[in-house]
Amino acid sequence: MSFDDSVPTRVDNSTLVRAVLVFLGFAVVFALLNTGSGTMARLIAPAADPGWSARIAAALVLAALVTANVVGLKFLAFNVQVILVWIQLIVLALVFFASFNLSYGFILNRLPFLITQGAFTTIYISLVAIAISCVIALIGALAKLSGNGVAYGIATFYISFFRGTPLLLQVYLIYLGLPQLGFIIDAVPAGIIALSLCYGAYMAEIFRSGIQAVPKGQAEAGRALGLHGGLIMRKIVLPQAIKIIVPPTGNQFIAMLKDSSLVSVMGVWELMFLARTQGKSEFKHMEMLITAAVVYWIISMAFEAIQSRIERHYGKADVR
Amino acid sequence: MKKIISLGIAAAIAAALSVPSAMAGETLDRVMSNKKLVLSSDPEYPPQSFLNNDNQMDGFDIDVAKEIAKRLGVELEIITPAWDIITAGNWGGRWDISVGSMTPTKARAEKLDFPAIYYYTPANFAVHNDSSATKMEDLDGKVIGSCGGCTYEAYLKKNLVIDAVGTPKFDYKVTPGEIKTYDTDTTAFDDLRIGDGARLDAVFSALPTIKEAIKNGYPLKVIEPAAFYEPLSVAVDKGDPEFSAKVAEIVKAMHEDGTLSELSMKWYDADLTKAQ
Repeated sequence: MSFDDSVPTRVDNSTLVRAVLVFLGFAVVFALLNTGSGTMARLIAPAADPGWSARIAAALVLAALVTANVVGLKFLAFNVQVILVWIQLIVLALVFFASFNLSYGFILNRLPFLITQGAFTTIYISLVAIAISCVIALIGALAKLSGNGVAYGIATFYISFFRGTPLLLQVYLIYLGLPQLGFIIDAVPAGIIALSLCYGAYMAEIFRSGIQAVPKGQAEAGRALGLHGGLIMRKIVLPQAIKIIVPPTGNQFIAMLKDSSLVSVMGVWELMFLARTQGKSEFKHMEMLITAAVVYWIISMAFEAIQSRIERHYGKADVR
Repeated sequence: MKKIISLGIAAAIAAALSVPSAMAGETLDRVMSNKKLVLSSDPEYPPQSFLNNDNQMDGFDIDVAKEIAKRLGVELEIITPAWDIITAGNWGGRWDISVGSMTPTKARAEKLDFPAIYYYTPANFAVHNDSSATKMEDLDGKVIGSCGGCTYEAYLKKNLVIDAVGTPKFDYKVTPGEIKTYDTDTTAFDDLRIGDGARLDAVFSALPTIKEAIKNGYPLKVIEPAAFYEPLSVAVDKGDPEFSAKVAEIVKAMHEDGTLSELSMKWYDADLTKAQ
């Protein structure tokens, strides 16, 4: 083979070689995992005996599908690729869940209560805790940045403790511990306090880093204009810091949504509690757990959408 | 004036400190004045306590609690803290009573009062349908699952102490090779159903719970006879003997007039209210 004629075909060759390698690789993996032994084998060769021949045939067909998919997707536009990959993964997930032989009647029967009682309580607890934790975080960050030794000491102690202990433990400490001091609080307020304190500690660090990321010259310019400290913070530093703070804070909110499930140990009828208990009566655990997973996922997608809107709002300055 | 204020502060501090340690008659007073008996029940244990099709609390324990409330002449309200929060004691007036099939062990009696035993549960081993085990001795050296921190785990570890009057005698008939504990018994059943010996060789649990699992399609069978019968008691917070006496009197009447036997037949198809 001469150098000249190999050049124009090199791209096609390597794509082909890669496709073949992908095909063989998947075929071996599928054959070893025996993925196609059940449903797939029956689809491909209904009459064949379930043995090595059926197993290899199923693996080859599956590998061919995957390869055609991987190679074929390359020819499409980026957006189309993303949408197709999402659709395929969702279908795969549905097939996976369908293989559990779930009782859909049972799910449909319990779903309204799971949403009106469970999801509602989860969202309610999360939103209140988010609001409080933002306030705590701002105070914590300002205290940590201040020159006041007492404020700095309290802030660092608080952040260190609540970041350094598990949230579940904090929930127990607040729910079981406060009554020993004479403060008897209900499960929902105890849960909100625990979530707010824990996430306030994490977010104080995010807020602090966001404030510190605003160049010092901005505050200095404010002082040169004769503005006082509080005004500089409110009108100059914070608006610029928020842009930096929003993405990691959105992360925290989504994490909190899921951590609110720890409140279920106190018997609050939120999403996770119902997911665990609704299935127990008829020993249909997977049904409600999967349903709750989907509900959590949908709620967190809503949170993601809200986060990107806020980002867009505070990112106006970046638009050129 | 100053003296009065400092006296007032001292009194306030004393009052604040004394809240958790209930004074005599406090629980009974609260129940009667609120016209409401607050029950704590963990709905993870069908058929004792679970969420039914209408998302209402239901089960044997719930029915017994409803009857107790009825005989006190008050409403029943149910809250659902996790089991370990119920057994931790120091309820601080959040709820008044637990009708939760609780075994009155010595360790628990330090935290809670057990005024009345209302039934006895047989504890049995369950194995997968494919298992060759037919008697308890076949399970020596096997992997056995149970709930963690409960009487079944204590039995498997051979350190079960039940200090209630009228507890039937028992011996330790099985020496497990390994004990695996779970947050609730039902999770252990999920592991056993995967296959004989896949994760577990047997589960040790309450016979009613095993039967309920079998009724719901779990491929399990029961190893007879029961390893032990455990008395199960109503629990109340420490420090109110009047309330304890009242509950004891009501449960005794329910034993005598057959109400408990009737409820037991309804939920377990067997009268478990008498010691075996």
